Amino acid sequence: MTQTSMTSISKHALPETKDQVHRVLIGKKQILVTEEEPLLVQLERAGIHIEYQCREGYCSSCSVKLLWGHVSYPFEPLAWVQSGYMLACCAIVKSDIEIAFFD
Amino acid sequence: MSYSTFNRKHFDSTKEPMFFGENVNVARYDQQKHPIFEKLIEKQLSFFWRPEEVDLSTDRKDFQRLEEHEQHIFLSNLKYQTLLDSVQGRSPNVALLPIVSLPELETWIETWSFSETIHSRSYTHIIRNIVNDPTKIFDDIVTNEEITKRADSVSKYYDRLIEMVSIYNTMGMGTFNIPGKGDIEISMPKLKKALYLTVASVNVLEAVRFYVSFACSFGFAERTLMEGNAKIIKLIARDEALHLTGTQHMLNLMASGKDDPEMAIIAEECKEEMRNIFVEAAEQEKDWATYLFKDGSMIGLNAQILGQYVEYITNVRMQAVGLETYFPTKHNPIPWINAWLVSDNVQVAPQEAEISSYLVGQTDNSLDDSDFDDFDL
Repeated sequence: MTQTSMTSISKHALPETKDQVHRVLIGKKQILVTEEEPLLVQLERAGIHIEYQCREGYCSSCSVKLLWGHVSYPFEPLAWVQSGYMLACCAIVKSDIEIAFFD
Repeated sequence: MSYSTFNRKHFDSTKEPMFFGENVNVARYDQQKHPIFEKLIEKQLSFFWRPEEVDLSTDRKDFQRLEEHEQHIFLSNLKYQTLLDSVQGRSPNVALLPIVSLPELETWIETWSFSETIHSRSYTHIIRNIVNDPTKIFDDIVTNEEITKRADSVSKYYDRLIEMVSIYNTMGMGTFNIPGKGDIEISMPKLKKALYLTVASVNVLEAVRFYVSFACSFGFAERTLMEGNAKIIKLIARDEALHLTGTQHMLNLMASGKDDPEMAIIAEECKEEMRNIFVEAAEQEKDWATYLFKDGSMIGLNAQILGQYVEYITNVRMQAVGLETYFPTKHNPIPWINAWLVSDNVQVAPQEAEISSYLVGQTDNSLDDSDFDDFDL
């Protein structure tokens, strides 16, 4: 199992807006997300499709690797979240992050 | 060490392990060692549904119009689902209740098993609606070789645990000669190992085997066939997603040692065997796919695609219980399944046929074009 260092990196490269905007790196792709909605819907809007079933934190289908950065959960998901992973359906991105699917 | 339905000892259940501690006495939930199990109970209860809510009259017509090899796929898949839920409707109760030590987990096991009995009743509802003689279908489940092979692999871990626990409850620890079975050694590590492997095999049943069968059910619905059946399977899939989370929690709690330090050692020792349970089940599911499609494929689904889905879903489930992935398939070959699996409380695809909450006694499936004759735009 990969261990995650929950390091947040500085956001000086990003413009200061009313709503916090963070970068999400997925392989060579990068998208910008806000803290207003969970990651899953924002990925979908950006045309990046990931697996889902319940979309409310109990099935763990949308589990992805969190390589670095911070996310938080407005409510604690029912699914077991392995260390170094996150649930895209209910996690709010709190810093720039990098995620990955299967090895 | 015999089982008591009301343990007279005074003890703090929050200090007990999940299994093989004291028998539960007071069913109290004011103090909990693992509150997750009560959350699962609440979620499961909020999902309550009855098969009779889903209208299947169109499915009967659809079924009659299916080609023969498609009827074989549909019925075999349904027989397999019936087998799996027959096992799941009783086994968590029979195998786990005598050894559980936490009230919230005991009640989760009962709630979980109960929901499986709803699934079993829904298969009868489906079969009654699509064929004239349900007996032929049910009887084949215990005689068809392809199905009975699978019955053995889904029940053997349960059966072994049940046997060992019953010896333990009557005889205690030691090595006992059981007529017809030879010497059976009963010790706490052996019991815990049997338990761990049972939970792993249940996770495989619910998180891998069931999903393969869901893919077939939804394969028909993708072609707008057998949609009533798909609505029922959608409700079943929502329950199973919760159940597999339950067994993932049990396995991960055991492996972490936070619940019972001895269990962490056993989990580590069983890693290879657990991996084999996943891989073996995946191979069986691929063989099953070949059997299903032996006389022909259907649009959108064949033995090869279903086999890739088996590999993909097995990888996902292995990773969720801390195992390395095993198969090369890293992408879901049938991404359309997500739209069918998605739970209703989030309406992403608002077509009526896909939203079962619209269906509670509401739909009229006998509409045709003439019903709109007096509509003018």
